[in-house]
Amino acid sequence: MGNLSKSGFSMFGFTVFALALAAGTALAAGSATEARAATGTSSLNGTVTFDGTAPAMQKIKMNADPACQQQHKDPVLEESMLANGGKLQNVVIYIKEGIAPGTYPAPKTPVVLNQTGCVYQPHVFAIQAGQPLEIVNNDPTLHNVNCQPKLNKKFNIAQPTKGMKISKSFDQPEGISFKCNVHPWMNAHAVVTTNPFFAVSDANGSFSLANLPAGTYTVSAWHEKLGAQTQSVTVADGETKQVSFAFKAAQ
Amino acid sequence: MARKPSCLAAVAFAGLCAWLILTSGSIPSYADTAPVKPAPDLAAGKEAFAANCTRCHGETGTGNGPDAAQMDPKPRNIAEGVFKFRTTASGTVPTDQDLFNTITNGLPGSRMPEFQRLPEETRWQLVYFVKSLAPVFLEENSKPEVVNFGNDPGPEKAGIAKGKESYTQLGCASCHGNAGRGDGPSAATLVDNWGNSIRPANLTQGWNYRGGSSPKEIVTRIMTGIDGTPMPSYADAISSKEDAWALAYYVNSLQKAPLWNRTIEAKRSQRLPETAQDPVWSQVSRTDLQMSNQLYKEGQIEPVRVNAVSVQAMYNEEAVIFRLQWDDPDESRQTPPDALGIILMPNRAMKWTVGSLRSWPASQDAPSLDVSYWSAGKNGASEAVVQGTADLETGKTQGETLTAEASYADGQWTLLLKRPLQSSLKDRVALDSREATLIGLTVWDGGNQEQGRRRSNSNWVNFILK
Repeated sequence: MGNLSKSGFSMFGFTVFALALAAGTALAAGSATEARAATGTSSLNGTVTFDGTAPAMQKIKMNADPACQQQHKDPVLEESMLANGGKLQNVVIYIKEGIAPGTYPAPKTPVVLNQTGCVYQPHVFAIQAGQPLEIVNNDPTLHNVNCQPKLNKKFNIAQPTKGMKISKSFDQPEGISFKCNVHPWMNAHAVVTTNPFFAVSDANGSFSLANLPAGTYTVSAWHEKLGAQTQSVTVADGETKQVSFAFKAAQ
Repeated sequence: MARKPSCLAAVAFAGLCAWLILTSGSIPSYADTAPVKPAPDLAAGKEAFAANCTRCHGETGTGNGPDAAQMDPKPRNIAEGVFKFRTTASGTVPTDQDLFNTITNGLPGSRMPEFQRLPEETRWQLVYFVKSLAPVFLEENSKPEVVNFGNDPGPEKAGIAKGKESYTQLGCASCHGNAGRGDGPSAATLVDNWGNSIRPANLTQGWNYRGGSSPKEIVTRIMTGIDGTPMPSYADAISSKEDAWALAYYVNSLQKAPLWNRTIEAKRSQRLPETAQDPVWSQVSRTDLQMSNQLYKEGQIEPVRVNAVSVQAMYNEEAVIFRLQWDDPDESRQTPPDALGIILMPNRAMKWTVGSLRSWPASQDAPSLDVSYWSAGKNGASEAVVQGTADLETGKTQGETLTAEASYADGQWTLLLKRPLQSSLKDRVALDSREATLIGLTVWDGGNQEQGRRRSNSNWVNFILK
């Protein structure tokens, strides 16, 4: 009983604090930028490593569609497993728990998912629930964007011409994928989060979550082939904490 | 006097016939009429579902009924809540009327039959019960979002030429092919949302459109997509409803009306054409034969791809020449090659011993069949007599050479095959004009790994030298 009411109280306290900060930042910024709430002074920096031999990424055969092939001088490789020197790229790192959903209003600036040269760019990304996703066809050929999430609204739409754009958004946090049936090698993956604290590991496996409020969080690391890992991290105000994730080759 | 009642009876009978034709032939004009929906009675729906649906869809609608394994396409997993044929936006649930229409009209080209024989009341109860099987209908935010299709402009004002431009601009040919035969560059690699291989519709075969072949039904597919399949919604991609209708009318214009018949008539002519393009062919009657298979391996059906062949024939005192056309989405000259056999039964009386072409090879004591076999591998044909237990493909390795000329374009083979009326081979069928000969066709689609018994077959039909 005591524990329950305690956690309820601290949640309440946190929310009030967050709102106060949000109002403060908005006033201080005094601009039309995002109504980004309750940022802090803590950071989580780290690296994602991969233990094992990563499979060689295959060359994508685009010869079925000359409009794709013609855009590339060099062979295009798959991106499902980018692990160079034991550093794992394209892992989404995000705060899974510790921030009440709704604390941070969704940014109005869209995340852009490009279809360029018959490849999704970026291949892996994160997006906050409610944030617009702009899907753009930069290719002079038909793409269909087939997205079949479990919790969010499914869609499969055609983008037949170059320059076509569509805006979508996702309400529920979950992992989602995008697929083009016309070009079966094309796929992209995203994590829908409840807050704006997320990052995707770079070619060195590095990531950084900045401007976090102090607190205890469940941090999740998600990879399209290797699945998800979580760990609990506590950071104090002004603290920069090192966090690392280690993935192993799937058995 | 005595004739009067029978005359009356005849009139009454004719009236009844006319009534039957009118009522059974009319497709319910949904959306135009406000249906009277009964109140849901889930017990009644469950009973009707058990009686009519479970053999394919399974008791809980998961698509794994006892007959499911032998079907292609597979019955839908209703519980998953993904429905192909809707009037609603991509990814949203169908309306009750959509489900009612699918149950009422069936899905042509699949094993889903029409259920017009069931009372309307029962079909509505099935709709309610189907919805109770799919949790998606209970979700708060899963309301059907009906798409606005605009008004049907009719064929005169539709602008088919504009529709043809859209067909190219909107990338329809990527999957459906330039001529609409389902042979586009992406056709072979398409998968459905569960990872199963799936083919785009052959738009020239109106009789095979799952969701119906009228412009109204086509515009619905264009705007809503076909959920669970690669076919996307063009609602945001097409600039106006007028353009969507123009495209629908163009697609509708690609359909070639089938001439299903039980007889192939060869036209007599002194001169036999040497090419498939010879204008004389336009004066020769055509018969379309439906092709199918019944081959199961370990309880699973092995789907075939060629589902119809068009046949024309001409003859003179010496020879008969066949012009055959069939749609095949890929040209295969390697092993296994695309191939076709014209099978003649030496004697009509053998029909009962030989049985269906599908079950060939038959038994030891089965009579021999006369096979003219063409293969894209060597692009040539040979004649052979195939014994009871030998495969029809045996024809490729024996016999005399026949004259054959084949060409492949836009997802279609055209084959000219000439054989003598009287063969020098022992036991070959001698064709003459006094009697109809039973003929059957068999096609192997090499691109679908078809060889040996895995092939599509026609029924036995009459071949007449007229």
